Amino acid sequence: MGAAVYILGMLTSAACSVLLWRGYKRGEKKLLLWSSLCFAGFAISNLLVFVDLILVPEWDLYLYRLAATAVALALLLYGLIWESNK
Amino acid sequence: MVAYSQGENEVYEFIRERIESVPHLEALLLLWNSRPQPWSVENLAKRLYVAKERAHALLTDLVREHLITAVAGPPAGYEYNSKSVAQDQMIAAVDATYRREVVRVATLIHSRTPSSLRDFARAFRFKSDKD
Amino acid sequence: MMAIFLLGFTAAASITASLFFLRFWRDSRDRLFLAFTAFFLIEGITRVLLVFYAHPGEGSPGIYLARLLGMLLILSAILKKNYPSEL
Repeated sequence: MGAAVYILGMLTSAACSVLLWRGYKRGEKKLLLWSSLCFAGFAISNLLVFVDLILVPEWDLYLYRLAATAVALALLLYGLIWESNK
Repeated sequence: MVAYSQGENEVYEFIRERIESVPHLEALLLLWNSRPQPWSVENLAKRLYVAKERAHALLTDLVREHLITAVAGPPAGYEYNSKSVAQDQMIAAVDATYRREVVRVATLIHSRTPSSLRDFARAFRFKSDKD
Repeated sequence: MMAIFLLGFTAAASITASLFFLRFWRDSRDRLFLAFTAFFLIEGITRVLLVFYAHPGEGSPGIYLARLLGMLLILSAILKKNYPSEL
């Protein structure tokens, strides 16, 4: 059940990242760049959870998962703070 | 709230959707009123009292909106893009409205949602063309 | 220790992001932003809860369901944006 959630999470995040990247290419608004990178980071984080819990349970990737999410959110916050009023 | 006539509603919707700032509008109307004569970035910047970089940025935005086109030159510049009769009529109406109602139009533009947010929401439309 | 720090950072960052999206929704009335508000709020709250778990790396059914809800809200908002008549 967890696996399904994380696969869906990976697909949803990847879709958001791709849509935002396409939007960034079109309109050159940096907010979309940072948001796209954030969701790419979420997709990676979800993938790592899947690898961690299902594929290779003998590894503990927990800190890497959290780090990926943290970096993704840091990028998003940077974009929200500096670019969202433009 | 004053009720606008049908034509005015369409003008205001056009401005709300397509025009990012007052200098954008003034640049567009400048090129419209002097069509088909092109303007260089330097001359436009002087005329609008903005920095050359800003003028270049807003001309790029207008090109992206298919409202003006770049002219290779020499001399290089930008000119109004007479894409369709409907667009020409709309720009003429925008011009007339702006002459009449400068304050109202400027207020409308300044109350717009920031264009980054519009682009963010638009990014999630599957069909990529703005319509 | 690092895990708790990252959980705390992630929780605070998620909630901050959700507040931005809440303002975007208030200013534009676009339901998409409301979905993102909810998504980031759920992410933030679940992280806060995970601080109190003995094995935060494994999650729990409740946490899974909450995060699933967040994703479904975003997906449904995207679908409604593109196929408004069908829903």
